[in-house]
Amino acid sequence: MALRGLDSPLTVVPWAAALLLVLSVERALALPEICIQCPGSVQNLSEVALYCKQTSDLMLHARCCLNRKGTILGLDLQNCSLKDPGPYFPQARTAIIIDLQANSLQGDLANTFRGFTQLQTLILPQDVNCPGGINAWKTITSYINNQTCQEQRNLCNSTGDPEMCPENGSCAPDGPGRLQCVCAEGFHGYKCMRQGSFSLLMFFGILGSTTLSISTLLWGTQRRKAKAS
Amino acid sequence: MAWPNIFQRGALLSQFSHHHVVVFLLTFFSYSLLHASRKTFSNVKVSISKQWTPSAFNKSIELPVEIWSSNHLFPSAEEATLFLGTLDTIFLFSYAVGLFISGIVGDRLNLRWVLSFGMCSSALVVFVFGTLTEWLHFYNKGLYCSLWIVNGLLQSTGWPCVVAVMGNWFGKAGRGVVFGLWSACASVGNILGACLASSVLQYGYEYAFLVTAAVQFAGGIIIFFGLLVSPEEIGLPGIEAEENFEDDSHRPLISGAENEDEAEPNYSIQEDKTITQVKAISFYQACCLPGVIAYSLAYACLKLVNYSFFFWLPFYLSNNFGWKEAEADKLSIWYDVGGIIGGTLQGFISDVLQKRAPVLALSLLLAVGSLVGYSRSPNDKSINALLMAVTGFFIGGPSNMISSAISADLGRQELIQGSTEALATVTGIVDGTGSIGAAVGQILPV
Repeated sequence: MALRGLDSPLTVVPWAAALLLVLSVERALALPEICIQCPGSVQNLSEVALYCKQTSDLMLHARCCLNRKGTILGLDLQNCSLKDPGPYFPQARTAIIIDLQANSLQGDLANTFRGFTQLQTLILPQDVNCPGGINAWKTITSYINNQTCQEQRNLCNSTGDPEMCPENGSCAPDGPGRLQCVCAEGFHGYKCMRQGSFSLLMFFGILGSTTLSISTLLWGTQRRKAKAS
Repeated sequence: MAWPNIFQRGALLSQFSHHHVVVFLLTFFSYSLLHASRKTFSNVKVSISKQWTPSAFNKSIELPVEIWSSNHLFPSAEEATLFLGTLDTIFLFSYAVGLFISGIVGDRLNLRWVLSFGMCSSALVVFVFGTLTEWLHFYNKGLYCSLWIVNGLLQSTGWPCVVAVMGNWFGKAGRGVVFGLWSACASVGNILGACLASSVLQYGYEYAFLVTAAVQFAGGIIIFFGLLVSPEEIGLPGIEAEENFEDDSHRPLISGAENEDEAEPNYSIQEDKTITQVKAISFYQACCLPGVIAYSLAYACLKLVNYSFFFWLPFYLSNNFGWKEAEADKLSIWYDVGGIIGGTLQGFISDVLQKRAPVLALSLLLAVGSLVGYSRSPNDKSINALLMAVTGFFIGGPSNMISSAISADLGRQELIQGSTEALATVTGIVDGTGSIGAAVGQILPV
């Protein structure tokens, strides 16, 4: 396409380059909302920052510690004047370390950590209890200005109830202090009723060739001399 | 006691060519396949009812919605079961209506075309009903009902056609035994359907429907290319032409009239290749034939019981004893095994005695006792299977006999020897009345 007012095709190039640059920067800046909803960035001496620096391949962006693919591995929301973690909090369900101290969190946190199966370190304000209590965490330490919950436990082993899940379902962790029923190994589909996979190709191959051979055989021996009808 | 002709090996076996064998096998297996796809539905009732309902699990653990409760076609398993029963009733009513129609239609059109069309299109409908709805995750009560009505009408083309074809090829001699053996096709179809369904049930109930529908479709194609409707199609003489040359000491075992030795009218059911023109028997005339009404009503009551077992046995076993669905399917086979033995044995005995009615009456009396015994069966697979086989023997036996040998007798009585278009019509009437009885039986408990 020809741009008006341009002397030659070569003047398109700087425009294209600038456009590409802007687009790539924008892509890199497409952070999950949870990282940017609270102004500021990860505190230098926080646990999240320590964790992020000690592992290579991790980058700090706003309040998050991300890996190369953009998955949130650390979240630092301390001192954000939060009453509750907010609607974007589930975006951080892959996080390994989360810091929520120095906020006046209200209400029960039991449901906010649904799906946070990787969480190993959770720092909460002093007056907030660890979700799931002492049963869900190996270590709970109370400091002056925070409570630290460390090493999430898999409650599937400890509960020990064999009838925990419906038929063909098996227990799996669903966050601190939570369990869910997923399909057992080898089962899939609605209510985990299905097992394995049916090979359509083999079935139709065998059926088709058998039908062809029997039809040909029978036509040859039976109907070939039949009067047209 | 007159031993049937079958013991005079030379006379009987010499008249059976390889064409007879092929016709026997083709009609046998075509009806078996039709019945197998019917049986598939009752074999997967547990799975399909689970698919339609959300999970009723009541513990504190979290059940992700998409795995356990995203389907809400019915709120509970009880409602789903009611709907399954309704589908059975709908099927039987449309099957009964279709039988009355097909019996009349089948004699006026080419039987081979009607049979293969019925098989192939019924296979397609079953495929849409069970497999396509699952692959598309489209569950709709209205769709299920309409598809099952269409299926009932299409499946009804099978029975009158196969009986008519068999009637064209096999004459009165040894009819009890041949038809007794042949009428095992329904039970063999049940067994086939149960085996096919239970072997692929683990992959999902939709594959049970796919497999039986595909095999039935293939069967329809084979029928189209391989079935000879009557001996006249390849120039062989028809059965009545042959029998008039024999010493005619065998009559249909229901009426006792003497067979008149007429110059042979051709009893082929094809309209376009006869020596003399024959006219169709009307529906009303067919009803008024001696024995038709009586046997139709008896068959209605019998089919009521038979189909209750047919439709609900795996479901009953699974729910009552807690057995897994695939196991319950395999065990329900024993009922049909009993039916096969019963049909063949009782057909043979009635040939020997030259009377059908006493054999039937005794068998039905004993059936009552065996049903009571079965209802008290303990939770033990071997005992249950044995009781099931015994019940099948006493119920399935008369059922197979009435629907095949007796229909053939009724349709070829001397009173209507001037007309050929009676066999399929009479078969349609007897079986149609039977199906109405079975359909009523499905809604009785409701």
